[in-house]
Amino acid sequence: MVVREVIVTNRAGLHTRPASMIVRTASKFDSDFFIQKDSYEINGKSIIGVMTLAAEQGATLSLTFEGEDEAAAADAIAELFESGFGEVK
Amino acid sequence: MLSDSQHLELSTEQGTPERHDPFAGELVIEGIGVAPGIAIGPAYLYARAAFEVEERHITREELDKELSRFERAVAKSERDLNKIASVAKEKLGGDSSSIFEAQALMLHDSELYDAVREHIEQDHMSADYAIQTVINKHRQLLNASDSEYLRERANDMLDLQDRIVRHLRRGKLLSVVDADSIVIAENLTAADIVLFSRRGILGTAMDYGGSTSHVSIMARALSLPAVVSTHGITSHLQTGDLIILDGLEGRVIIHPSEKTLAFYREYQERYRRLQHEQKQLVPLPAETIDGHSVRLMANVEFKEELKLLKEYGAVGIGLFRTEILFLMQRRINLSEDEQFATYKQIVETVGPHPVTFRVLDFGGDKMLPLGHREHNPFLGWRGIRILLDKPELMVPQIRAIMRASAYGPLRILIPMVTELNEVFEFRRVMNGIADDLRANGEDFADSIPIGIMVEVPAVALKAHRFAAEVDFFSIGTNDLTQYTLAVDRGNDLVSDKYQELDPAVLLLIKQTVTAAHDVGIKVSLCGELAARPQATPLLLGLGVDELSASPVYLPEIKRVVRAVNMEETRALADDALCCGDAHEVKALLKNWMHKHACDLASYLEQDS
Repeated sequence: MVVREVIVTNRAGLHTRPASMIVRTASKFDSDFFIQKDSYEINGKSIIGVMTLAAEQGATLSLTFEGEDEAAAADAIAELFESGFGEVK
Repeated sequence: MLSDSQHLELSTEQGTPERHDPFAGELVIEGIGVAPGIAIGPAYLYARAAFEVEERHITREELDKELSRFERAVAKSERDLNKIASVAKEKLGGDSSSIFEAQALMLHDSELYDAVREHIEQDHMSADYAIQTVINKHRQLLNASDSEYLRERANDMLDLQDRIVRHLRRGKLLSVVDADSIVIAENLTAADIVLFSRRGILGTAMDYGGSTSHVSIMARALSLPAVVSTHGITSHLQTGDLIILDGLEGRVIIHPSEKTLAFYREYQERYRRLQHEQKQLVPLPAETIDGHSVRLMANVEFKEELKLLKEYGAVGIGLFRTEILFLMQRRINLSEDEQFATYKQIVETVGPHPVTFRVLDFGGDKMLPLGHREHNPFLGWRGIRILLDKPELMVPQIRAIMRASAYGPLRILIPMVTELNEVFEFRRVMNGIADDLRANGEDFADSIPIGIMVEVPAVALKAHRFAAEVDFFSIGTNDLTQYTLAVDRGNDLVSDKYQELDPAVLLLIKQTVTAAHDVGIKVSLCGELAARPQATPLLLGLGVDELSASPVYLPEIKRVVRAVNMEETRALADDALCCGDAHEVKALLKNWMHKHACDLASYLEQDS
């Protein structure tokens, strides 16, 4: 199991476009992927789940990956957060 | 509400006006025209209720059939959404397609897809009922949220439900709205408009909405005649009723008489030819017969509108309302860098033509997201008054604009000025920022023109003093009219007294122009009056140098400019200034335009 802490840095938070990017990227991997915010946990491969997180800029999220390709999945998702989902900074 | 079979029956009769109750008289409904053009055709009443789902269960034997029905509907919905997303991306660019892409992902989301299958397999729900059950659960969660963003997502889910249900019922999406119909609704989303235009509808009218709502901007971008704010139109007609939609005047005519119909058919034909001719005007200068030129610029609120500038021949942006960026994001703390990225992109796209950035104009009807409330917001804390009190808002914005000036010509416009001191204060802040930017080695233009909005009568009356301190004036006729006539145009009880052509307003414009020209600075006019071709000769005659309006209106304004003589418009303005009230001014303009054969009607007549 891999656990990563990330901070939402892009300005508008996890709105529709970043949420779609997370789900699309996560779906490429076999590992299970969950996102935890405060005491709320959702399936990171579910767009409905990710959107209901309503994570705003500055929010800290805990990402959990479990499966054969967990390390690669964790890197790919963390990279999305680090790049601010490609938004102009 | 009509059932599907009733609907099919009606559709076969569409286009046959004889079907109407012969005793039903012509009914004219006034609204706001937000995208010009004339449409004549059968109404299509678009209502959510058409997709209402009933609680229904299936037998064990029907199970497989129901599951494959669901699969097919999902596949078809996915195809639609991908198509809409690509149309949105192509027509509007940027992030406008993201919501449709997200909806497509939702289709295969286990929270939705697996849950629906489970309800069908285990609870023997019909596919329609299973979808509604699942989506309702999520909508309830979203609607219970404090976040406006999430509550809006609940609507997206309802959209998705409607789409799947439509496919379940009819097997194809083609019947969502009928092609060659005029779609009438209480309210439409921007997504609806994209989809409908793809279906080839003739136009649309809806009860809600304003000229700056996203759906109106989308209609203009797609050149789809549209009228909004037609209070209660949906209760006056049925699918199949013949109607006329006049996006120029903002009017819908239900059950038109033969005479009206004949008039509009001809009018429509001429308008089409006119549009064709207007296209030829785009590259030509906006110059009167006697060689006096006017600059026609665009009012812009969304980045998506930038591509319209070239299409309609706008020579720069006369008014970019920066507060919209903040309102769209629903937050007040857009950083300097975030703002800079947007301003730079705009300046680079519009260059070599100038972009006029109006600094934050919060207050009034645009509520500041600070939770601040006032009894009389239009006379309260607004525009520059807020900025000078809140350097944390003003400084990042000015810095961002100044940095963007390194990438193309821009001007800064200060809203809601009433005192000279506000201009001095503003300049002092700007000079401080300039020193700081220089110290940090940041690039910016040597001289950035600074102008003020002339929207408070006090400024127009002191225009000669202000003219000495600023680089240009921009007259905001909407607020100038409200403040001069003491009329809130949003108040239905008095809104008929809101008259931009009142001679008092015209006198203030005249005084402003005279003061500006005395010291050689230019005057721009960016209120709704600028978008009205009937007023164009008068504004020219009053000496206004630049008109700024929604780009789609510019070709018609240019046609009028090119059809008049500056000397004659000056005489017209002198006459208008002597009128007693707005009605006299309107009558004068109408006669003048007709006499000089430059109004749309006479132009269209000549053409035949």
